[in-house]
Amino acid sequence: MKLQCALVSVLAASMCAGQGLTAKKAWTPLRTANGQPDLQGVWTNATITPLERPADLAAKPFFTPSEAAAYEKQVVENANVDRRRSDVTTDVGLAYNEAWWDRGTHVVKTLRTSLIVDPADGKLPALTPEGERRAVALAERRRLHPADGPEDRGLTERCILWPTAGPPMMPSVYNNNYQIFQGPEYVAIMVEMIHDVRIIPLDTRPHLPSGVRQWLGDSRGHWEGNTLVVDTTNFTDKTKFRGSSENLHLTERFTRTDPDTILYEYTVNDPATWTKPWTAQITMTKSASRVYEYACHEGNYGMMGILAGARAEETSSANAGAK
Amino acid sequence: MRSATRIGIVMGAALLAAAPVWAHHAFAAEFDGKKPVKLEGTVTKMEWINPHAWIHIDVKDADGKVTNWMVECGTPNTLLRRGVNKNSVTAGMAIVVDGYQAKDGSNRANGRDVTFPDGKKVFLGNTGTGAPGDAPEK
Repeated sequence: MKLQCALVSVLAASMCAGQGLTAKKAWTPLRTANGQPDLQGVWTNATITPLERPADLAAKPFFTPSEAAAYEKQVVENANVDRRRSDVTTDVGLAYNEAWWDRGTHVVKTLRTSLIVDPADGKLPALTPEGERRAVALAERRRLHPADGPEDRGLTERCILWPTAGPPMMPSVYNNNYQIFQGPEYVAIMVEMIHDVRIIPLDTRPHLPSGVRQWLGDSRGHWEGNTLVVDTTNFTDKTKFRGSSENLHLTERFTRTDPDTILYEYTVNDPATWTKPWTAQITMTKSASRVYEYACHEGNYGMMGILAGARAEETSSANAGAK
Repeated sequence: MRSATRIGIVMGAALLAAAPVWAHHAFAAEFDGKKPVKLEGTVTKMEWINPHAWIHIDVKDADGKVTNWMVECGTPNTLLRRGVNKNSVTAGMAIVVDGYQAKDGSNRANGRDVTFPDGKKVFLGNTGTGAPGDAPEK
């Protein structure tokens, strides 16, 4: 525990100073057989640290170790209760209660109070007018056509894409597990959530032509010292990472800072959506677990239930109108 | 004083962070808040399927008529990591499900609260349920 706290202090201090973690540390990264820094294995990015800094922590980018422990205790205890509500709509939703979740119980190892590190206030930059217009149009579309057909439902319910599965990879409610494989010319990242595998070529081939769009975009990787840098473009206009446009340009950086930690950082550059680029940072921890299959289409009865429910509501409304 | 302020900050943030979040799908789109059900039945099978597991139960009404219900659970990967496996919920087991019926009126419900014969509410977020960070049940 003492060692952990000491490590955390080093991490926090080096991040405060805006320096890379590896520069401060004596630890020499492991190497693969062909000499690359070794990122292989199963990693989890489960954390209770929120993407944006809560308002009451506005002046506090980092916890102290004792504050972090108190925060963790409070978050876990607050979540781990029977949240029965008199508002039945809320109660139905909360039926999916804490025992189902697996979102972690710790803050990130850097002890930051938000995943966003830039802007410095830990908040997402403002949307551009176009970004706002797109968000409003999408909300209106969903209001008018909540469930005409499966295409009206979100990508998660359709088992196509999980919005946090990446790129960029974000902590989510469960299945926060990733397995990284490395070959001389490729890195592959298997994501438990909806079971995607991203293949990242390490050569200098150009990105796909702009007319070719992919759910996970088109990734290219290269090494900068001990850091794997991955550049991704060519997203579809349906991928929409937090409302991004298809021209989202994503840069990810993976640095193994000790045997059990990868410092994962990503920068979102999408001038069509946000008024400036933003960067988030997450520590991924080596996991003793394995990645299980999450074959989402296997028994997606929920989609059937949602569409059947929408038809039943329409019939009910029509009958009420006829009376 | 300084440390008291800090703890206050931390606790405020904790409340924010525990706001409800949705899983694979919003239960409120599938189940009807106006149709609460309490099902006392016998497990016929548990489907360990993605994205959500389902428990099937036979429920006998006052007239002795038996109806089969499906009850929606969490994701199998998380259940397994919580220590729930194929031996945890088996055919013939008596359970009580407190939940909400499907909006289309079919015999499907969400497992708002599932109680096992020993009275243990395995799937509820109370203490003793195996929820994250939970203390062992005494």
